[in-house]
Amino acid sequence: MNGNEQQLQDVLRLPAEQLYRHELEALKAADKGKVPAGWQMSPQAVLTFITGGEAGGTPITPKYIGNKRLVEMAIATLVTDRALLLIGEPGTAKSWLSENLTAAIYGNSGLVVQGTAGTTEEHVRYSWNYAMLLANGPTPEALVQSPIMRAMEAGGIARFEEISRSASEVQDALISILSEKTISIAELGKEMNARKGFSIIATANTRDRGVNEMSAALKRRFNIIVLPAPSDLETEIEIVRKRVSEIAAQYDLQAAAPAHDALLKVVTIFRELRSGMSLDKKEKIKSPGGAISTAEAISLLTGSMALAASFGDGEIRDADLAAGLQGAIVKDDDKDKLVWQEYINNVMKKRGSDWRGLYAACKELNP
Amino acid sequence: MSAVGTAGVHVFGVRHLSPGGAWHLLRFLDEVKPTAVLVEGPSDASSEIRHIVRNETVPPIAILAYTDQVPVHTVLWPFASYSPEYAALKWADRNGAESAFIDLPSSVTLALRSARQKEAPEGAGDKLPDGESEALDEDANAGQPRDAEEQSSNADSKQPGSTDAIPSAGADDESSRSGSPEVSLYERVAALAGEPDYDTYWERHYEHNLSPDVYRQTVKAFSSSMRSLTIAGEREQAVHEFAHNAVRESYMKRGIQEMIDAGHKPDKIVVVCGAYHAEALENTDGAMTDAELKTLPSVSSKLTMMPYSYFRLSSLSGYGAGNNAPGYYEAMWQAMQEGTLEGLPHVYLSAVAARLRESGTFRSTAEVIEAVRMAESLAALHGGSQPALVDLRDAAKTLLGRGELSVVADALAFMDVGTGIGALAEGVSQTPVQDDLNRQLKELKLDKYRTTVAQELTLDLRENRRVKSEAAAFLDLNRSFLLHRLALIGISLAQVKPSSQQEASWAEHWVLQWSPEAEIQTVEASLMGETIEIAAARTLSQKLAACTAIAEASSLIRTACLCGMASQLAASLTALDALAADSRDVVQLAAAISELSKAVSYGDVRRMDTAPLLPLLEKLFLRASLFLLEASGCNDEAAMGMMEAIGSLHNAAQEHAGQVDEELWLAKLTELSSRDDRNPRLSGLACAILMERGVLSAEACEQEVSRRLSPGIPAELGAGWFEGLAQRNRYALVSRIALWEQLNAYIAGLEKEQFARALVFLRRAFSVFAPREKTMVAEVLGELWGVDAGQAAELLSGELNEQEEKQIEELNEFDFEDF
Repeated sequence: MNGNEQQLQDVLRLPAEQLYRHELEALKAADKGKVPAGWQMSPQAVLTFITGGEAGGTPITPKYIGNKRLVEMAIATLVTDRALLLIGEPGTAKSWLSENLTAAIYGNSGLVVQGTAGTTEEHVRYSWNYAMLLANGPTPEALVQSPIMRAMEAGGIARFEEISRSASEVQDALISILSEKTISIAELGKEMNARKGFSIIATANTRDRGVNEMSAALKRRFNIIVLPAPSDLETEIEIVRKRVSEIAAQYDLQAAAPAHDALLKVVTIFRELRSGMSLDKKEKIKSPGGAISTAEAISLLTGSMALAASFGDGEIRDADLAAGLQGAIVKDDDKDKLVWQEYINNVMKKRGSDWRGLYAACKELNP
Repeated sequence: MSAVGTAGVHVFGVRHLSPGGAWHLLRFLDEVKPTAVLVEGPSDASSEIRHIVRNETVPPIAILAYTDQVPVHTVLWPFASYSPEYAALKWADRNGAESAFIDLPSSVTLALRSARQKEAPEGAGDKLPDGESEALDEDANAGQPRDAEEQSSNADSKQPGSTDAIPSAGADDESSRSGSPEVSLYERVAALAGEPDYDTYWERHYEHNLSPDVYRQTVKAFSSSMRSLTIAGEREQAVHEFAHNAVRESYMKRGIQEMIDAGHKPDKIVVVCGAYHAEALENTDGAMTDAELKTLPSVSSKLTMMPYSYFRLSSLSGYGAGNNAPGYYEAMWQAMQEGTLEGLPHVYLSAVAARLRESGTFRSTAEVIEAVRMAESLAALHGGSQPALVDLRDAAKTLLGRGELSVVADALAFMDVGTGIGALAEGVSQTPVQDDLNRQLKELKLDKYRTTVAQELTLDLRENRRVKSEAAAFLDLNRSFLLHRLALIGISLAQVKPSSQQEASWAEHWVLQWSPEAEIQTVEASLMGETIEIAAARTLSQKLAACTAIAEASSLIRTACLCGMASQLAASLTALDALAADSRDVVQLAAAISELSKAVSYGDVRRMDTAPLLPLLEKLFLRASLFLLEASGCNDEAAMGMMEAIGSLHNAAQEHAGQVDEELWLAKLTELSSRDDRNPRLSGLACAILMERGVLSAEACEQEVSRRLSPGIPAELGAGWFEGLAQRNRYALVSRIALWEQLNAYIAGLEKEQFARALVFLRRAFSVFAPREKTMVAEVLGELWGVDAGQAAELLSGELNEQEEKQIEELNEFDFEDF
């Protein structure tokens, strides 16, 4: 094991191309399809990488569970060198899908612009090393390329996370990049032309505070795919189970993976609060103000595992789950607390003996 | 019957409603040049072929067979322009070849079908085998969408009386897909091929490939292996289905054999059938013998051609006899004929964009181009030669809808389903009802309204005394009868518009517009009877049999009057009588009485003998009077309905004073007025009516007022009573100064909390007063208080200032506790 590898082991979170390196290699080895210019494998192989399957005897784990057709549409978009915009509620695996697509197609998911209110046009185009700029004037050496510019140069895929959080004028800088596929560097009198394979995958939230509406001109340059919340209970449980066990392995959590029972309860509670009615559709339930996504169910369960490992006996107890639920559902104000209390007393209490332990634990936190 | 093998016969297995199948079949026919073309379809409809192939005929059309006895069962064989069967018949006509249908006659199909239903147990048990058989049959014919039997429109909502426990085809389809293992075999094939559903699998693998002879060979191979996979399970699990298929195939073999015996060379005969049957029909071993033929059950039935519509053909309409996107397949068929199949995605997506633009959502050509590219790359991902419908839809959603299906849903539905409606040459589709309707339209001089342009028609139902013949004198009345009857049956020719008050009893305004849909509905009406009148009568009796509420029954009585169906009136009366016998619901009784009363009042102008209505009216009125007191012990919410009921009962009492027991009614009102334990508003209303009728003398009234508004009476009783009193004849009320003195004293004596309560009632009571009446009240009160009348009036009718607004706001949040 060399130093580089050791270093990788210490990284808090491995990028997808590292995490699934053996799968990608197996896919490339077994790939018989036509590989588009700038891609490292055929679209069919990318599809297998995302939705799971098998390549040359190596099992490929599914990365995105639920709607295979959406993944096909995403890949078809990138084949036609169009930019892809993934839209969805918070926690619908937009970034996760974007990262894995990039890892499979380009092999490097690290060219990322993270959109915030402070993102400037320089982050999208280029900026300068000012010491060199002052010393020598504008030279190619003094140019600091943005991730998008580097992707253009390499013919790869850049990712733009949370694009709707950056200011409208920053978003608009993308318009000409996406239609002309060039960035002109006026100071050097040069143009950077994108190589074949260049594309951008952007992600955006539909329902959140502090987002800027995207202009129609920009939207027109993207193929827009809306990622839905998991369609049914079983799919969501499957997603949560898979991600929790992966994260637990990555963080080396010394706790048993949550039992099916715990998963079922957490996902049920989340789904009911999200949809505003009980699973059997017979009862109306108030929804809390914030989003309660699958991603939060995942972090709740890993959090509970961490609690159990650090302060318990390694088994997730009802009290751990209750603490996690409290934190995930009651976000900021008193209203959420009331919603949660109502849910505990009106819904959870009547669920019978299976739910008795969790009800008691939640009740204790919300007297 | 000879049992010689007929290996030489050409069998072309197709999926029904398959443009690819039609395209390849035409080429195959050109190559073989047969002298006879045999098509899977009811053999007794062979005589209709000459109508099907006429140039005036525009598909979609359908052959409709129906039993002429109740319960009515129907079977439907639809043809679209891209049906291989239709293409084959047209080819035979063009090239002088003989053509015939060779499947079981419709009478046998109908008989077998009802026999199968009888054998199947009721309820849930019924659903499974039935659903299973449909799906089997559908998919067994290499995925042809539903065979003849499934197209039975029996479960259509039109004839609740005649239906069996079969859910509509659409719903059935759903249940069978999840239920039976054989269906999942087809879904599994699709899943293995990486397709979202079987339709897509079929389209991508069989519709797009225009290489010579590919369709026939691949479909044959596919369906024969599917047949061998399913047939064993079918023999055990779906015995009836298996037997039914065996009978059909045996009969079709007989048809082929007959054609050979008639002198056609076997290698000059082409048989067009569902791919499932293709393998079986390659030889005529086991063709049905004469003896076997005699044992087939048969029911008395009739057969007609009818125009059809793409909407009905698509599964959207719930009719279930067709495929998912007839508009799209029609476009595909056209593209194939023009040799521009590869241009279909462009046509489709441009049309979607154009439709979006029409509805105000602008989408650029660049986006359409990108959508085509995306659809093509989606198809490439599946190894397809060109995009299938799902690819086009998904590309449209992503590019043209910007990720939202809702943006493009309407345009997609328009493109997929289309608005195509078939047409038949004049006189082809003549069911007795159509004849009857045409005759009546001509007789009533309404045939000029038989256009697709909406036209208004105003009818004056009164006798026209300036003309000589009786028919002319009552022309408009008879028109009205006909239009009302059509509306009752559900033939959408005319819609009635509301009339103004003063002419309500004798004028009617209609908007007439003829549509092919109405033609279809007329054909369907033949299921209910031979003439419009019989069909209307039967529809009405079915509705009567199904109705469970008094209000429903009484509105049907009205319908019977509007339709001029005296004989049905008696039946409606019996139905209402039966329902009302158990009813103690005064509100419903009052509604029924009001309908009856209207029917009686307008009976003259419609020349209806309303005498039979009167005894029932009298009876219902008696019941309502007797239950008045009991029903008046209700809360304020129910009192709203009761107030209306008392009002209409009183109107009826006055209008039919001779018939109904008015004395009893007034006695009951008097009792209600004097009782303290009934709803005070209703007591107040009773008092107002009695005052109006002069039954209650001025002194008695004043006594009552003073008793009701005695100091110490809770606000909801006192003010509530006043609210009821103020419902009627306010002028009389205003002019009784004594009353206002009493009210004034009562209000002054209330405590603060009680006063706030009283305000709620009083405010509501006065809210219905007209401004003029309010002013009069103000004048009276002004006199009482010694204020200048003018000032008081100004105060009362002027705008509220801010502080007063706020006080009223506070009143809105007034806690009513438990009243």
